[in-house]
Amino acid sequence: MMQYDRAELPAHHDEIRREVRAFLKQSFPPERRANSDFTSGHNPAFSEQLGNKGWIGMTWPARYGGGEKTFFERYVVTEELLAAGAPVSAHWIADRQSGPLLLRYGSQAQRERYLPDITAGKSYFSIGMSEPGSGSDLASVRTSAVRGDGGWVINGTKLWSTDAHRNHFMIALVRTRPVSDNRHAGLSQFVIDLRRDNVAVRPILNMGGQEDFNEVVFEDTFVPDDRMIGEEGNGWEQVTSELSYERSGPERFLSAFRVYVELIRAVGTEPSDAQAATIGRLAAHFLTLRRMSISVAGMLESGGNPVVEAALVKELGNNFEKELPDIARAALAGGARPAAFEAAYQDTMLGSPAFTLRGGTREILRGVIARGLGLR
Amino acid sequence: MEQMLIDSAERILRDGCDKALLDSAEAGEFPQALASLLIDNGFDQLGAPDSGTSGDDAYGVLRVAGRFALPVPLAEWQLARVLGVSGYVSVGRMSADGSSAFGVPWAQQCERVIGVSDDGRARLFTVAQCRIEPEAHLAGESRASVAGDSEPIDAPADVFGRMALSRVALSVGALEHVLELAITYVTEREQFGRTLSKFQSLQHYLAIMAADVAAAARATDAAIVSLETERFPLDVAAAKSRVGEATNRVAELAHQVHGAMGFTHEHQLHHFTRRLWAWRDEFGDEVFWQQRLGRHIAAAGPDEVWPFLATGG
Ligand SMILES: Cc1cc2nc3c(=O)[nH]c(=O)nc-3n(C[C@H](O)[C@H](O)[C@H](O)COP(=O)(O)OP(=O)(O)OC[C@H]3O[C@@H](n4cnc5c(N)ncnc54)[C@H](O)[C@@H]3O)c2cc1C
Repeated sequence: MMQYDRAELPAHHDEIRREVRAFLKQSFPPERRANSDFTSGHNPAFSEQLGNKGWIGMTWPARYGGGEKTFFERYVVTEELLAAGAPVSAHWIADRQSGPLLLRYGSQAQRERYLPDITAGKSYFSIGMSEPGSGSDLASVRTSAVRGDGGWVINGTKLWSTDAHRNHFMIALVRTRPVSDNRHAGLSQFVIDLRRDNVAVRPILNMGGQEDFNEVVFEDTFVPDDRMIGEEGNGWEQVTSELSYERSGPERFLSAFRVYVELIRAVGTEPSDAQAATIGRLAAHFLTLRRMSISVAGMLESGGNPVVEAALVKELGNNFEKELPDIARAALAGGARPAAFEAAYQDTMLGSPAFTLRGGTREILRGVIARGLGLR
Repeated sequence: MEQMLIDSAERILRDGCDKALLDSAEAGEFPQALASLLIDNGFDQLGAPDSGTSGDDAYGVLRVAGRFALPVPLAEWQLARVLGVSGYVSVGRMSADGSSAFGVPWAQQCERVIGVSDDGRARLFTVAQCRIEPEAHLAGESRASVAGDSEPIDAPADVFGRMALSRVALSVGALEHVLELAITYVTEREQFGRTLSKFQSLQHYLAIMAADVAAAARATDAAIVSLETERFPLDVAAAKSRVGEATNRVAELAHQVHGAMGFTHEHQLHHFTRRLWAWRDEFGDEVFWQQRLGRHIAAAGPDEVWPFLATGG
């Protein structure tokens, strides 16, 4: 059975929390705060400011510009940024998973090459996993890398790569050996330089009319040897190793938070009974999800690999953040909706179908949990 | 929380709280032997001043009690001891005018009844001098209305919240047990030539149940941790709300995966699901507590909600 201990954020972290709030107050005024989705604002200038503050790569070694802080401190910073609706998407993936991946599996030269720019808030990464024929079934990727002179020649197509059209690098999962009986074998990861390598990046308009995700086409794209991350053939272990980080953070239940704030503003200080119940019910979810998510951060901090616990936070959190706009809408039914509510509502509603898709679909996560229960 | 207490409660209940006992308790017979055993072992004293134990111990043992659907008013005794009332006592929710208490477990087996109101008052009723209307909750367990003269007693302001927390702790134990029953059932029962656990739709049901049970437990732990702090009333509200929601989904799905077998009286599942449905209503249903929490948040305004969620305001 899944156990979530009583971990809480240490009280002395209130200091850094105050610092983040003060920073946000002056750098990111409240009237711009419409959306708490971690992919909703790509803003290099803002990311650089965070880098200067030391709030990117916070847990990494100092030699790469990291802060050598705990996961709990990183948690405080990231949740404050999301709650405020700050535009964090430029550096988010690099900070959350590309950097940690390079730290764990990258060569010394790779760490020195990539990490300092990430912590400075100047270098942004995309995820190159999905393909036209490979979504949930990630191990079926067909993009291939074949040994060439001094490097590798890549062919194939990556799909849905968020921000590949404005980020610097992508970490691509590709086949370096033909499919064998063990479908998880023969996969490897490469750093792709999206601006210099010979790749075609084509933005795909999403349903909200925005260019966020992309198709990235490789046609005899050459990359030198030193772009391979970790060992040849170890790609599957590497992509799955970061899942607990990827799935349990505050971004998995806070995406609709600004709608909640605007709902509270809209109902005023004396809500109806039904409105009060809605606000209370949603608060109970926020409080509980946050505590579960912090419990997982604690497990990560002490070196565990809580794959199932993390999947469970994502399962609960994504369903919740997806339902929230509709619940808020029902609470205001029958009346005119204030403009600030409407802005947050529309922005979040249009992003919400993706909440239970990106980072592993709801159905795939339920499978992970069922495995944890011993059912498969 | 003392693991030894938890283990010893579990031992006593494993031996003494079986299906036969639940059936007879639901037919109206007070489980006297088990009740005496629990008192002899001091479980009624948990959390009382000078008992050397904490509220954490008390609610931890109630969670174990929930795992066995214990039909003994242990939570009521624990509260009575906290208020300094000894003997066979029960507790019910008091009407606003203080003239009666309702939903009182096993009132006729008790000498006295403590009524607690949702604004934190408590009064002591003497059963022999009251009108008793025997009723039963959804699980058939004795619940009565008690009306008559009473005298005020000193109680901490969070007395109603403590009783709500007892229902939440009992419920978490019952939810855990229901989940275990469901896992066992689907891994043993075969249809179409394989165990039910191989069907993806049932795997997903169980994943949903596991998620709700984990959330209910985490919310309850948070309320226990904030006992005797300013945050307690709001963390209890969150727990009652979250556990109530979990109850609704988990009970429904548990019955669905158990098929007709789970609908029989012979199966133990209903002892737990019926109690879960009863407990969600006792000492304030979900909506009552959601409104409390919601009004607090709305009164503070939109700019205070994040500080409240993150650091308690
Ligand atoms: C906004 C957004 C951003 C994204 N960004 C990136 C990115 O940056 N990089 C990247 O690599 N990918 C990205 N993705 C892709 C994402 O990882 C995939 O959408 C996801 O893995 C699902 O794959 P799919 O869309 O091909 O759906 P499919 O796998 O085709 O699934 C369709 C439906 O079938 C269900 N399904 C599939 N298999 C099973 C099964 N075995 N059992 C039960 N149900 C099943 C799924 O749960 C889903 O409901 C992004 C997606 C979105 C929506």
